[in-house]
Formats: sequence, C-alpha cells, structure tokens
Amino acid sequence: MKPTRSMTAAGRAGEVPRDLHWSRYKFPESLIGYGAWIVVLTFIAVSVEYLDIPLGRIPAMFERMAAVLANRYYPPDFEYIMDQDYMGYVVETIQMAYLGALFGLLMSIPLGWFGSFNMTPSRRFVYPATRLLTMAFRAVHEMIWAILFVSILGFGMLAGVLALTFFCAGFAGKLFAEEIEAIDMGPVEAMRATGANLFQVMVFGVLPQVRVAFTGIGIYTWDVAFRAATVVGFVGAGGMGWYLKRNVMQIESERVAAILLSIVVLVLISEALSAIARDRVMRMK
Amino acid sequence: MRVTGQSSAKPPTDGAHGVAIESILEQRRRRRLVHLAMGLIVAGLVAWSVDVTIVEDTDWERIGSLANVLESVNRFVGVDWQLFPSLLKPAIETFMIACLGTLLGVIICVPAVWFGALNITPFKPITYPLARLMMTLSRSIHEIVWALFFVAVVGLGAMAGIFAIAVRSVGFIAKMSAEAIEDIDHGPVEAIRAVGGNGFQVMLYAILPQVLPQILGVIIFEWEINIRRSAILGLVGAGGLGLVFFRQMNTFNFPGVTTVIIAILGIILIGEVVSYYARKAVI
Repeated sequence: MKPTRSMTAAGRAGEVPRDLHWSRYKFPESLIGYGAWIVVLTFIAVSVEYLDIPLGRIPAMFERMAAVLANRYYPPDFEYIMDQDYMGYVVETIQMAYLGALFGLLMSIPLGWFGSFNMTPSRRFVYPATRLLTMAFRAVHEMIWAILFVSILGFGMLAGVLALTFFCAGFAGKLFAEEIEAIDMGPVEAMRATGANLFQVMVFGVLPQVRVAFTGIGIYTWDVAFRAATVVGFVGAGGMGWYLKRNVMQIESERVAAILLSIVVLVLISEALSAIARDRVMRMK
Repeated sequence: MRVTGQSSAKPPTDGAHGVAIESILEQRRRRRLVHLAMGLIVAGLVAWSVDVTIVEDTDWERIGSLANVLESVNRFVGVDWQLFPSLLKPAIETFMIACLGTLLGVIICVPAVWFGALNITPFKPITYPLARLMMTLSRSIHEIVWALFFVAVVGLGAMAGIFAIAVRSVGFIAKMSAEAIEDIDHGPVEAIRAVGGNGFQVMLYAILPQVLPQILGVIIFEWEINIRRSAILGLVGAGGLGLVFFRQMNTFNFPGVTTVIIAILGIILIGEVVSYYARKAVI
C-alpha cells in the first residue's frame, strides 16, 4: 500500500478507507452471486405461479395438521395390529424384501461388471448399454414396477418380489459399478499378463478387492428393499402395504396411525441390524 | 495353510508347540462349521421365503402359460405418439415439484442438522435424540404415505407433493450433513471463538465453509432422487406425471403407459446428467 494513500485514509477520522474493504470477488465477478440468487428466487416464483400453489392456505395448514393428527390419528389402534393376521403380513413383507434384495443383488453383479468402465468387456457397446439398463432399472420407481408386474402377473407377492428385484438391481448395480471402477488395477494387470481369461480376472483380480464393499452394499440394499416392501402392497403386490391401503381407503385413521408406527419401528429395527452387520463387515477388513 | 507349512518346515520339538497348532486347527474347523451352518440357514430361509411368497401366494392359473405372460407384456410394446404433447405440462410440474420440495427440505433440515450433529447440538440429552427421531421418522415412512397424509391436510394438488418430498428428503440430507459436521476440523471453531464470535458467527464462518461442498453434493444427489419420487406422487393425487400414468393405466391404454414411462426416464436422464456435472463442479 502506498504511504500517501494510507495517510489520507487516516486523515479522515473514523472512516474506513475504501481499499481496506476486502471482498473475495472483484466487481464483475461479485455480481455472479447476486445473479444466482435472482435466478433461484425467480424460479421459485415462476414455479409457485405455474403449479398454482395456494400460499394463503399455508398458515391455516399447521392448524389443520394439528387438528387432523389430534382428532383422527390419535390414539393409534394398537389392538388392531397385534392381530395374528397382521403379523403374518409383516413376516411376508420381510420375506418379500429378503428375496427381492437377494435376486436383485444376483442380477446386479453382471450389471456392475459390464457397467464399470475399467472392467467392461467392450467399452464401445456393452458399457453404454449396461449403463443405460442400470439407469432404467433405477429410474423407474418401485411403485411403477409393482403396478406393471401386477398388471402382467396379477395380485400377489410374486409381483412384489419382481418389482423389488428390478429396483434393487438398478440400485446396487450402480454402486457396484462405482466400486469396481475404484479398484487398484495392479492385480488385474498381473492376472491378464499370466493369460487369465475375463472370468478369471473378475474372480481372482477384482472380487477380492471389492468383497467387503459389496457385502456392505448388499446389506444396505436389503435395508432399502425393506422400506420399499412396506408400500408395494399399495397396488396389490403383497405385504403390509395392502393393509395400509385398505385402512386408508376406509378412513380408519387410528388404525392407519398404528400401522405407520409399526412400520417406523420395523424400519428402526432393520436399520439397527444393518448398521451392526455393516460395522462387523467393515471390521473384518 | 501357512501354519501347516511352518510346522512341516520346523517340526514341533515340545508338546506346547503341537498343542498351539492343534488349537488353531481346531478353531479353523469350528469356524468352517459355523460358516457351513450359516450358509445352510440362509439357504433354508431363501427356500422358505420362495415357497411362501412365490409358490403359494401366486395364482398360477391366472398367469397361465409363458405365452399368456408374453401376450400381457406385448400389450405394453409400442409408443402412443399422440400423448407426447400433453405430457409436457405434467413433466414440467414434476420437475418443479422436485425442485421446490428439495429447497423446502433443505430449509427444514437446518434445525435438524444443528440439533443432530453431536459436536454442536445445544443440549445433548434432549435435542440430539429429538433430531435423530426426526431423521428416522422422515426416512422410514415412504413418500407415498407422506403424500397421502399431506393430501389429507392441504388437499389435492402440487402443494401436497411438495410437502411430501420436502419431509421425505429431510432425513437423508440431515443425516449426511450432521455426519459431515461431526468430522470437521476444530481449529477454525476455536479461532472464531477466541476472537469473540458468538454461536451464530461460529456456525457461519467456521463450520459452514468446511462442510458446504459436501452438503451441496448431498443436496444435489437428493434432488436427483426427488425427481424420481415426484414422478409417482400423482398416484395419490399430488400432481405431475404420476397422475397421467395412473390415468393411462386405468383406461387400459397400455402404449400410453409405456409413453409416460419413457417421459419419466427422459426427465430423470436430464436430472442425472445435470447432477453429475453439478456435483463435479461443487466437489
């Protein structure tokens, strides 16, 4: 800083000199931040207008929410869910999630293999095709899978299992592919140099490196599958979702509240189990 | 293998050595037995589940032969081109519901993150479990159920969808952000405290700059998932592409169903590409 300037700055008492105002961006760049804010706010305004959202109803909404919760959903009807019948449906839900996750994981191993850039047999054809397939499996929501399978195969748990299978295959396939892309290529090259074929490279070069991560992803997939399994019954694909749907349609809100609470408890248990299992797997590393 | 190799190279001279090897081998045998038993249990569970869910609960007569199934699948083949122009508005709606839902979710997240990160939670015995409960509740209830609840509260329309998505995405964003905050470097926090910054300033100048890239990455990731979710909320009357899907399904216009699924795939593909580049730019 030039001495003359600082002297003049000190001359004006109590005023901070202009040069001492530090900002991260200089004048033209500093506008970018404001521009981003304006874009976001405009987008919100346009969306609210486009979606025709009644903003005036929001203050009354909280009152209504409290009223709905207090009058309709409270107290939860626990006797209803302590029923033998309902417990059977819970077990069926767990089985459905278990099978869906298992089949989905089996399906996702080739998806992960062919969909990883470094291990795919053909980068030009197989890699993009597998990537697209994985994305399609994942992008279609589990409810849509369930509706499609119910309309093709009819009501029942088979439709639910298949819906969960496709959903889990897409979910785990992407994670597997990412995991395989992150491996150390040394062992793979060593295997190739000794003349191993594609399959041998996969089994002896890649699998040992990703085994622990795969197990963790598998447990996580089961967790996600269980959460999805609680609602695929909504469209007739078996499990406790059907119970939920029936009571929602009959406006038996106290029973709905009890079912929802049971779902929360079951998810908590499954989450705790999966956390313990993943922890153990990670420690085995 | 290694143990037996060692023992052959240097035969046990005294009893203690042999006993040690014996015990290791015994341990290994026991572990193999445990693995075998676990494998059997898993296989048994699979067989039982397959029997209950697939064999018993399926109406095989309704499905009929493979030809019948293929015929049912065949109904979905084809694209209803006339539907495309009328899909534009619901597609934009779906996109906007996802964006607004994510934004609202981020706003609801702020207290959850503040209470849920162990190192900054204001009063641990009460606020920490409260935040954890909030996160679990939000994540464990499916978006369809949330949407049903909000449709009952605010009525049919996009607003129910926005609230459902916002509440559903709180859990994931808050959990990941709280974990990111728990891992921060404490130097800047102490530095800001030392120069007299209050709690709010500590958060703004010491904690936020450290975790902002990670949190933005999580938010973008969640936004991508929310597009997927908002595409089905129409099933319970919360607007968007799901409503069109349901209508096509109920009128048995199966090529139309395929068309809607293609449209959903299209906007999700756009979302995925945007999220990929946005996350790359942030991190």
